[in-house]
Amino acid sequence: MLKSKTRETVVAYLFMAPFLVIFASFLLYPVFYSFYLSFRTVSPTTDMFSVFTDMKFVGFSNYLRLLKDFDFWWSLVSTGYYAVLYIPLSIAASLMLAILLNNQLKGHSLFRSAYFLPNVLDMFVVGIIWLFIYAPHYGILDRILTQLGITYFAEKGVLANGKTAMLGVVAALVLKNAGFGMILFLAAIQNIPVSVYEAADIDGANEWQKFKNITLPLVVPIVLFLLITGTIGALNAFAEIYAMTGGGPQMVVAGKTVGATNVSGYYLFRQFERMNYGDAAAISYFLLAITLTISYMNVKLLHRK
Amino acid sequence: MSQVQGQKTVVFVKSLILYSFMSVGAVFVLFPFFWMIFVAVKPEGQAFSLTVSFAKPLWKNFVSIWCDPSYPFGRFFINSIIVATSGGLLTTLFCAMGGYVFAKKEFYGKNILFWFLLSTMMIPGMMFLVPQFAIVTKLHWINTYRGMVLPHVASVFGIFLMRQYMETIPSSLIESAKIDGASELQIFGKIIVPLSSAVMTTLFLLTFLFHWSNFLWHLVVNTPDSSKLTIPVGLALFRGQYQMDWEKMMAASCFAIIPIVIIFLLAQKFFIEGLTTGAVKE
Repeated sequence: MLKSKTRETVVAYLFMAPFLVIFASFLLYPVFYSFYLSFRTVSPTTDMFSVFTDMKFVGFSNYLRLLKDFDFWWSLVSTGYYAVLYIPLSIAASLMLAILLNNQLKGHSLFRSAYFLPNVLDMFVVGIIWLFIYAPHYGILDRILTQLGITYFAEKGVLANGKTAMLGVVAALVLKNAGFGMILFLAAIQNIPVSVYEAADIDGANEWQKFKNITLPLVVPIVLFLLITGTIGALNAFAEIYAMTGGGPQMVVAGKTVGATNVSGYYLFRQFERMNYGDAAAISYFLLAITLTISYMNVKLLHRK
Repeated sequence: MSQVQGQKTVVFVKSLILYSFMSVGAVFVLFPFFWMIFVAVKPEGQAFSLTVSFAKPLWKNFVSIWCDPSYPFGRFFINSIIVATSGGLLTTLFCAMGGYVFAKKEFYGKNILFWFLLSTMMIPGMMFLVPQFAIVTKLHWINTYRGMVLPHVASVFGIFLMRQYMETIPSSLIESAKIDGASELQIFGKIIVPLSSAVMTTLFLLTFLFHWSNFLWHLVVNTPDSSKLTIPVGLALFRGQYQMDWEKMMAASCFAIIPIVIIFLLAQKFFIEGLTTGAVKE
């Protein structure tokens, strides 16, 4: 019996070998390699043809510099702002679409497809389309609003205005991604047996009571799931920012000039682009610490109920 | 009698209201998509005009995008297809092999390995940017398909999806094949794969999509003069060139988006099933 398990183990690892080799070299090793790089920096003496083997050891100075860097702290704040806007809006939009679709009307599956469709499209390209829609003066959004007497966007549009840029990015994302949450909510809602609602009807419950007492508790796990994926999404936000705002527009916060949508993922990319590989690696460790903290808090939250 | 009539009217009004709300939702969600097509078929220089006017012939912008020698769009398109297809196939194959042993074999370290793999799903993808780039640079994989694809074919989600599904395949099938003298590879190839074709299609489509839109990675592992640029990266690098030509930009966007729309419409059942399975694991 033991011998057969040994044999099974050999076979199993052979089957997993292609996956594990890629996993180990491109996902597991990078976590440690990134840690190593975060203590090094590209110096003027670094050989440009083998940058990564010739970076200078600098101890904790990458981390210390980040802690003193206003832009870094701002990137965390704007990531938080992104998450605070995106997560509740997308959950609300998803839930609304799911409730709308939870009927037996003819053609409801057609609407389901329509709502879900934008989800599978390329983020960068969708961002470019929104850039066009949001443009000042000529963009369709500003033209419609001007017709309605709202001239707020006439000068700068949505994305060149520090007050509305993040909202514009998030609105585009919510419309693109709401279908994903909708599918999950719909699956959860449709798992609830009709008899439960009928029993509530007999007890004289109204629509709102039924929603609050039956539907809502059953969709809580989905909300938590969307909370986690939304948080990770905020920390990974890049293509939408790159397409729509490039981290801008510039605005002044606490006497310093910052980019209104310079979220941490984009900030990391900018460091990377300037060949500040050590700093970028250090940022990624900060992001990892944040993610683990948030995940831990989420798990705690899950176990409390 | 009139009460029945009244109820009918109530039902009718109710569904009318529902339909109008549902349509409003669809208009909002799909607006960018329609706007892209609307602008892509406009005559040159009229991207911002709201009058309904069409380029002659209708596909003029698409042709001029495709034929512009300074903007090798056909190349980008082929690259996108190659990268997404190979990425999808490799991920599906590797994950099917891995998911199979997690579903059907008892081996040392199984549980620990599984939980370890799942826990890595929490790591934000941005974390891998610098080290993966360093590794690919050291391997001299810059501007190559393998550099664009291989670092992203180990999908833990894929392993999970496969395991979930393959657990439902009866073990007796495997046992009887063993008695008939089938080898491990034969069991995998002739029993597991055919029985899992639906879930493998799902994973292929989801990973095809992932690689099609793996924008940041394709942006960093290619230099601007690379011959391996994908459509979105091509769009990004040539944005300056087409900044004023919005109708051409939108025509180019159509090429990035329409293939995915077609795939989605043909196979939406697979997408939706895959995503639902992935999410309700708790």
